[in-house]
Parts: sequence; C-alpha cells; structure tokens
Amino acid sequence: MDEWKPNPAVKPHKKRSWYLAWKYKLMNQRALRKLCQTGAVLFLLVTVIVNIKLILDTRRAAYEEEEESAQDYDDEMLNVEVPRHPVNNKKVLDVEVYSSRSKVYVAVDGTTVLEDEAREQGRGIHVIVLNQATGHVMAKRVFDTYSPHEDEAMVLFLNMVARGRILIFTIKDEGSFHLKETAKNVLKSLGSQVAPFLSWRDMWTFVGKKGGEVYGEKHAKSPALSTWGDPVLLKTEVHLTSVEDAECHWPDTELNRRRKRFCSKVEGYGSVCSCKDPTPIEFNPDPLKDNKVFDVPVAVIAGNRPNYLYRMLRSLLSAQGVNPQMITVFIDGYYEEPMDVVELFGLSGIQHTPISIKNARVSQHYKASLTATFNLFPDAKFAVVLEEDLDISIDFFSFLSQSIHLLEEDDSLYCISAWNDQGYEHTAEDPSLLYRVETMPGLGWVLRKSLYKDELEPKWPTPEKLWDWDMWMRMPEQRKGRECIIPDISRSYHFGIVGLNMNGYFHEAYFKKHKFNTVPNVQLKNVESLRKDNYETEIHRLLGEAEVLDHSKNPCEDSFVPDTEGRVYVMFIRMEQEADFTTWTQLAKCLHIWDLDVRGNHKGLWRLFRKKNHFLVVGVPASPYSSKKPSSVTPIYMEPPAKEEGAVAVPAVAAAEQT
Amino acid sequence: MQKINRNVVLALLSLTSLVFLLFQLCYYKFYLSQKNGAGFSKVRGSQSGQDGTRWHVVRKFLGLISSHNIPVYLIDPLILGLVDKDIEQIRSSPDGPSPECKYFCAPRDFTTFALLDKTWKHDVGLFRTAEKMGFQWLKIINKDPRLDGMDDLSGMEIPLHYIFKLASHAIHLVVFYERSGNFLWHGPLRLKQHMDRKFVPFRKLHFGRYPGAYEKPELLLVSIDDLKVRIPKNPSSFLEEMSHSRFLECRYREARAFFQLYPDDASLDAVEFRKKAKSLLHLAALTLNNLGVKFWLSSGTCLGWYRQCNVIPHSKDVDLGIFIRDYKADIIPAFQKAGLPLKHKFGKVEDSLELSFQGEDDVKLDIFFFYEENGHIWNGGTQAKSGKKFKYLFPKFTLCWTEFVELKVHVPCETRQYVEANYGPEWKVPVKTWDWKSSPSNVQDNGVWPIDEWDNVIQIY
Repeated sequence: MDEWKPNPAVKPHKKRSWYLAWKYKLMNQRALRKLCQTGAVLFLLVTVIVNIKLILDTRRAAYEEEEESAQDYDDEMLNVEVPRHPVNNKKVLDVEVYSSRSKVYVAVDGTTVLEDEAREQGRGIHVIVLNQATGHVMAKRVFDTYSPHEDEAMVLFLNMVARGRILIFTIKDEGSFHLKETAKNVLKSLGSQVAPFLSWRDMWTFVGKKGGEVYGEKHAKSPALSTWGDPVLLKTEVHLTSVEDAECHWPDTELNRRRKRFCSKVEGYGSVCSCKDPTPIEFNPDPLKDNKVFDVPVAVIAGNRPNYLYRMLRSLLSAQGVNPQMITVFIDGYYEEPMDVVELFGLSGIQHTPISIKNARVSQHYKASLTATFNLFPDAKFAVVLEEDLDISIDFFSFLSQSIHLLEEDDSLYCISAWNDQGYEHTAEDPSLLYRVETMPGLGWVLRKSLYKDELEPKWPTPEKLWDWDMWMRMPEQRKGRECIIPDISRSYHFGIVGLNMNGYFHEAYFKKHKFNTVPNVQLKNVESLRKDNYETEIHRLLGEAEVLDHSKNPCEDSFVPDTEGRVYVMFIRMEQEADFTTWTQLAKCLHIWDLDVRGNHKGLWRLFRKKNHFLVVGVPASPYSSKKPSSVTPIYMEPPAKEEGAVAVPAVAAAEQT
Repeated sequence: MQKINRNVVLALLSLTSLVFLLFQLCYYKFYLSQKNGAGFSKVRGSQSGQDGTRWHVVRKFLGLISSHNIPVYLIDPLILGLVDKDIEQIRSSPDGPSPECKYFCAPRDFTTFALLDKTWKHDVGLFRTAEKMGFQWLKIINKDPRLDGMDDLSGMEIPLHYIFKLASHAIHLVVFYERSGNFLWHGPLRLKQHMDRKFVPFRKLHFGRYPGAYEKPELLLVSIDDLKVRIPKNPSSFLEEMSHSRFLECRYREARAFFQLYPDDASLDAVEFRKKAKSLLHLAALTLNNLGVKFWLSSGTCLGWYRQCNVIPHSKDVDLGIFIRDYKADIIPAFQKAGLPLKHKFGKVEDSLELSFQGEDDVKLDIFFFYEENGHIWNGGTQAKSGKKFKYLFPKFTLCWTEFVELKVHVPCETRQYVEANYGPEWKVPVKTWDWKSSPSNVQDNGVWPIDEWDNVIQIY
C-alpha cells in the first residue's frame, strides 16, 4: 500500500498545470493524446484494483480480529449436540417380531427394542407402541394375562394409546388363560383375526396401526395342553406417515409446545395427549396467604416409574401455595421417560448415576439429592422431601406453612412429616390436629438444613452399607431423642404398589385404607401446644379429661369404645419398660393399623381415633403418664400368638419395607 | 467539439477516481487507527454529541424487561464509573429529569446488566417478545457448578449470559446465581461450536472472561438520562469489588480422581475434625471480614482445597495467610473476643510474624503473615526452643475467590505454583508425617533471633 500512497497526496498540487499542458498537447498530437487516454484508462484500472484490494484487506482484517477475539471464549470441550433420538428419514420400517415359550424379541430396522429370554419372567402379552412418523418406541408394557385382571389393565392401556400409533404384540410363554372376551374384542377391533380364538399356550405376533391397517399377524396353535405352539417369527414392513399427521393441532403456546414434545415421545398418559380438550399441564392453584414455605425447596426423589411421577407431580402442582420454581426432581438413573415427564411440567430435573445396589442405592440417591438441593438453594433453611409415589394433599403447603416455625424454633424437633403411620380411615378424624411422635414417618417431610449439614451428611451411610436411609435416620444415634410433628390425617397418600420394598399385597394391607386429607385451607388447631413443654401440658390436660374405658372388655371388639362422638377415652396396656411393645403390637394388629414395627408413640402414649372419639393408649408402667391410671384398673396384657416358624423374622423384614 | 467532449469526459472520470481514491485512503487510515486501539478515544472525541441508538436500545430493553417483571440492575463499569462521580446528585433527586444525556449516550457496542437467577421464572415468553421488538438474542448455557462438586449428578445446563442485540447496540445480561457461602456467582462466557462468533465483539465484554464472585448488592432505583434503572447502591465499591472478582472453581474432577486413589477417611474422628475445622474457619472468616482484613487459605488448608476440595482430616489445624500490609493490631483482641485465645505469637510485624489461636478442642488456627520482597513472597517460621528462624519462599501470586466448606474465601489464583512451592511436585500424594521445619520444599534457614528479642518474638501462652 505504501507504494501508491504518496501519489494521490501529490496530485492536487499539480493538477492545474497538468491539465493545461495536457489539453494543449492533446490538441496537437494525436499520438500523445492516445497515450494519455490509455494512461487515464490505466489509472482508472489501478484505482479499481486498489479499491478491490482494500476492500478485501479490510474484510480479512476484520474477520481475523473477530476470530481472535472469540477464541478466548471458546468452550474447551467439544460440545457436539447429540439429539436424544437420531432422526430417521426412512419412510419404511422393517419390523421383526418373535414369539415363543421362552423368548420374545422385537426388532425395528435391525435394532432390538425388546428382548426377553429371562426364565420365569415376562410371561404374557408384550405390547410395544411406535410413533407412526418417526418409528421411535413410545411405550413398552407387558401384561401377564395368564393371571387375572391383567387383561383389564391391558384394555385400559390400549384405550389410552392415541389413534394412528403402531402397536406390536407378542406372547411369551402363555397369554390367554385370563384373556377375557372384552380384551379379545379390543384386539379384534385393532384388526387381529386370531385374537378371538387365542387359546392355551398359543404363540402369537401381531403388528397393526391403531384404528387403521394391519401390517401382519402370525399364530401357532398349541397342539396339546402339555406343549406350547411352535415359535413364530413375523417379518413385516410398516409405512411411516408424515410428522404432521402424527401430531395433534393444538394452539401454539409454550405449554402446548411442551405437550407436543412429550406426546411425540411417550404413550400411556391418557388425556394429556388427546387432540381434543387435552387435560391441562398447568394448574395455577390458589396462592396461600402469608405462605411461609414459598421459598422452601422441594426435592422429589424419583426412580424409573414415570407414570407414578406423572401422577405425583400433578397432585403436587395442584396443591395450594406450591412454587414450581423451587421444585427439583432427582431421578436415580439416566432414564428418559421420567425426564420427559419432568419437562412436560416445565420443572427442573437432575439425573443421578446409580451408585451401589438395592437399599444402598436408594440411600445414596437420597444423599446426593439432599446435598444438591441445599447447593442449589443455599439460602434455604429447610427442604421438603417427597417421593414419586405420593399423592400430595391440596393443603400440604398450608399445613407446612402453619407449622414450620416450630421446626425452626424448637430444638427438640427432628422433622415435620405429612404422614401419620397410624392414620387409617377408621383411626384418623381431625384434619386440624397435630401430634408429636418419636418415630420418623417420612413420606413427605421437612428436613432442617442444619440437621442435614451438621449431623446427617457427614456420617451418611456409605455405599457399601446396605442400609435403608430411613431406618438409619430412625436410629437413636441419629435421632437423639428428638421428635417429629405429624398431622392426625395424613397430607400425603402412598399409592405406589410396585417398588423396591413394595408389592400389591403389602400395599393393600397397610396403605390402601390410609386416610388422606382433601379439604383445602384447614386451619390447624393450637399449633403452639406442639412445643416441647406445652405438649406435656396438653397431654396432661387430655388425660385429665379422658374417661377410662372398661378394662374388662376385649379391646379388639368394637364395643370396647362406647357409641359416642367427640369424647376422649383412655386405656392402659402393659408395657414393662421403654422397649416393651408386646401388647401394643397385638392391639395394633387387631385394630388393623401399622403393626410391623412401633410407630406414632410419644413417651409410651399413642393417640388415635375410634368411632370418632379420641382414643389414648398408655403403656404402664413405662410411660410417665402411668400416674394417671386409677389404682383400680389393671393394664391390659395381650399375648402374642404362639410363634409360628419365621414369625420372629417377619417384623424385622417388614419393618424394612416401608420406605 | 467531439474531441473536447471526450476530453472532458476523461477528465471527469479521472477526477472521480481521484476523489474515490482519496476517500478510500481516508477510510483506510481511520480503520487502521481504530484497529490500533486509538479508535476508542477518537470515536468518543469525535462524537461528543448524543448518540441516540444506545439510549433507545437500552430504553427498549428496560421496557421489555419490566413488561415481564424481571428485576435487572445495571453493572456496566463505564456507566457506573460516570454515575459514581455524580452519585450524590443522583441520589438526592431520584426522579428529576435530566437536562442532557450523560450516561447512556456515549457510543458503545454494549451495555451490561445483571440478573439474579432466582428472581425470574425462565419465562420463554420474554424471548418471543424480544424478537417481536426486533432484538436478536443469544443464550450462553453451561454446566451448573453447584452440582459439579457432586458425584454423578447431571442436571440441566443453566443460562449464564444473555446477549440482546438491536441495531448496532447489544445488551449483555449476566446471570448471577446464589452459591453456598452467601455470595453471588456468575459464570464464564464460553461459546459452543455452532455459535456465532461475531454476534458481538466478545473480547470487549466486561464480564465473562472469568467467572466472578460478588457480595449480594444493595440496590438503588435511580433515574438517569430519563431512564429508570436499578444500580448498586454504592457504585464505587461495586467497581472495586469487580476488579478483584475472579472466581476459581474447585477442581472437583481431580478431587474425585484423588479419592479414587486414596479413599476418603470416613472415621468418626475425621468427621468430627472436619466439622470443627469448618466451624473454626467460619469463625475466623467472620472475624477477619469484620475487621476488613483480606486473608487466604494457606498451607494444608489450601492443599486440601486444591487437591480434594475438602479439609484434610489428618491436618489437625487450619492455616490462613495475610499480607503484612493488611496487618491490624486489632486482630488479636478480635479473635480473643470471638472465643479464640492466642496460643502463641512468633516474630514481629517487621519480620516473620505468625499468630496461632486455640480453637475448640485441639484444632488450632495458624495465621501466617506474608512479606513481599524482590519478586517473591515469603512468610517466616520460628522454632520456640532454639529461636531458629525459617523462611518459606513463594513465587508471586494474586488472590482469587473460591467456595470452600460453604464459605467464600480467597486462595492464590496461581494455586498450583503456590502448593508446589510448599509441598513439592509430589503434593498429590498424601503424607501423614509432616515436619514444618524440614518437610516443605521451600524452607530456608533464616538465622536465629537475637536472645534479647526472644521475649518479644517468642510468646507462648
């Protein structure tokens, strides 16, 4: 550039004389004129070239500067964004379905999406739902239709699947024994020719579109009762539709975008994905006046039970005074579907790589979740801890808002829990009543940060210890004589029937009949009386007022308590020392309340309701309240039944079962 | 006639090209000067008048923000610098109309605002409105450092910075997060591969080169240049804080690797010691912060932070460093008032000062004073029975913030050099027996205290 710089600077000075000379010469000399003309053209050309060079130069320089400036700010890691599902542009899917006695599998475009050859497992009809536009697996279920009622669950599920989805069926072992007419008709309506005639130990595969064409069906009849049908392998092709056809046309709002994302990935959530009038995913419950727990973080502890999580979050987000911003869902494992549910509701979710096994895994997940909660909300003094298999009462936050100051001010408290272990339909009555108990019920509770940070976190059981976190928290080394506040009527409801420590029978016996508050805005009664010393005064007042029941009658009989309402009764049972719960356990058993270990006691006193009367049980002589016993009354003693084999082990095992 | 016409045309052409050339030259010269950095002041000088673009963009942005109820506050250092000069006047007349546009009209590429994460709901509607108003926007997200310290948790990535651009002006919105230790943190600005590197001149941004740690600011709603904005109540202290705000994250991944190699001590003793060390550190931090004395984690405590992000359970004391220029005579009475009696005092303010306070049970708080000299920094040690002096040399270092046991504390930014100076290249291997007189790799003999000074320089209680 330097070479041409001087020239233009010089030019203006000489311009005039140049021009005159030039003009003169032009008039006289043709050759010179020509030369000048060429010169001028050259000059023009040079200008153009210089200009172009200049422009290029500036551009490059600017670009380099930007490059340089941005370099510092590059992310060190190569963050290649991988979509969670590869996008498949293919129009046709190859589907392979295999059905046999000991093995089933389904492959879509060569990818195995289901394979089950485990022994003594996975019996019945396996159902897979594919998205008709993308071919992605949206749901996988197995219905053991050899057993009763499973066919009803299958019908329920199939009815929930949206029209147009691709359904794949295959039987493992046996799937017809309890496959009733209704279920067979549903399968027939899907286009199956064979379903109405499916019989004992037949093998069957079927691929069809809900409400549309059939892509293939194969069937092998069992030749005799004692043998199975030959394995069948169905190979077929499924034509994909366009994405638009597979989606509903909801108005374009932020909520519906979330809904759309969710509904294109998973199936089996019913009306949340219906095209017409889908069920809302935002609830806007009434805010609470003077909500003291608005800024308290809520940790939802979850595993891979997305349908439970869905139900749980619905109830949580419908509770009055809920603050969705404070909710974090902690998922134990890298499961997609629970995360999809979390995103559907616009909440934040955190996944946790599973550490250890069984109970220790749950326990490690709890620890990580609690630590993370207090990291994410460093200002918080408390955290609400919930699990994915709980329904949350509409006044859950109102209940906490009215009682949380106690946890802050009373050092003798360990937690506030929404769950009353003894609060069954027939033993709980008063939504405004609170108790102090020596056991920690869990199932929706509030943890004090200082308790966690100073005491629990540093000595939390390590992964190699196969302990239950809640049993560990109940141990005297941790609890140190502190108590929890619970309501008479629980503010949570445990609906989970599948789980690590849970099965259908156990749930039916101990959880199904649990009372659950559905009344909004319950004003709690006399909250201050729950403080350590006040509570003693309150108990003494109650005992003073209580009528002593007739101890000659059988306490298990209904007639033990008179047919009155709103009275306070007391009975005395034998309790030789603090840990003698022999009679209490028998009483709990016959009253059909929690009897697997001792819950809900306060200094040898239990409080519950019978026939709408407040019913107090005092253990004599271990309880300090024994002094209230009239000398004429002999404490009732109930003998445990003659020990059967293994009876000793039952309480221990079962105690571990409640989580 | 024809000839003349031709000549005239030619002459005209040449003239045009000449003018064009001149113009190009000017442009190029201007461009060069700007590139060399002189442009900044030049632009400012040449356009002393008002530049409406910036003011309009800021006004639009504030409108956008308030329509979504998002409380942002101004942290632009250049504007706060100007505001600080007139702070009295601005405070006294918070609503007065401005006669001239003094602050938001100086032409700049961007204006910086801050947003507290917990005060807004990550409402996507904001961005849609922004787009409707003509803003282009860029979101910079990254891992959540509050979960980084935890094994095996993976949360969603969190937004660290937003940039809203309209016309030639950009708004840089820095998202602040609350961290354990009661302070605010903002993340670094790192672009991912697919991002537009030319969206704004990233290098010129005032926030984002490093993560930063700040106290929670008190805010003041003021009206400047007829715009209502929130600013830190005390702009000058905010600017001062900003200049020393660099934050270092603990090396959680390396700490995890360390614990894989050397499993953590989970014994009751270790748990108890950690608890005591933590509360002692909290008490010491509170005391020194109240006095306004800057301190940092030193020796074993610093090693614990750097190597394992935790207190080393077998270290048995807590070590802090303080520059001797920050020494205050009130330090000893303040600690005594806080319930930490002086255990010993070695050296004197002019040389090798070292204080030791008795914490709960056997946990001791050692405070070493650091002296700057000939391109290095040193602290001294004294052996009580012989009066021998030792000198521990460190390469020069600056101070960074970090989070340690739920506390915002300083550590040397050049931590590795600091730790290596003290513990040698093998610092990664835990050593249980440690002799402060011979084990450190940076220890030097430094003579003996004269006997007549012993009473003063060796005080044991």
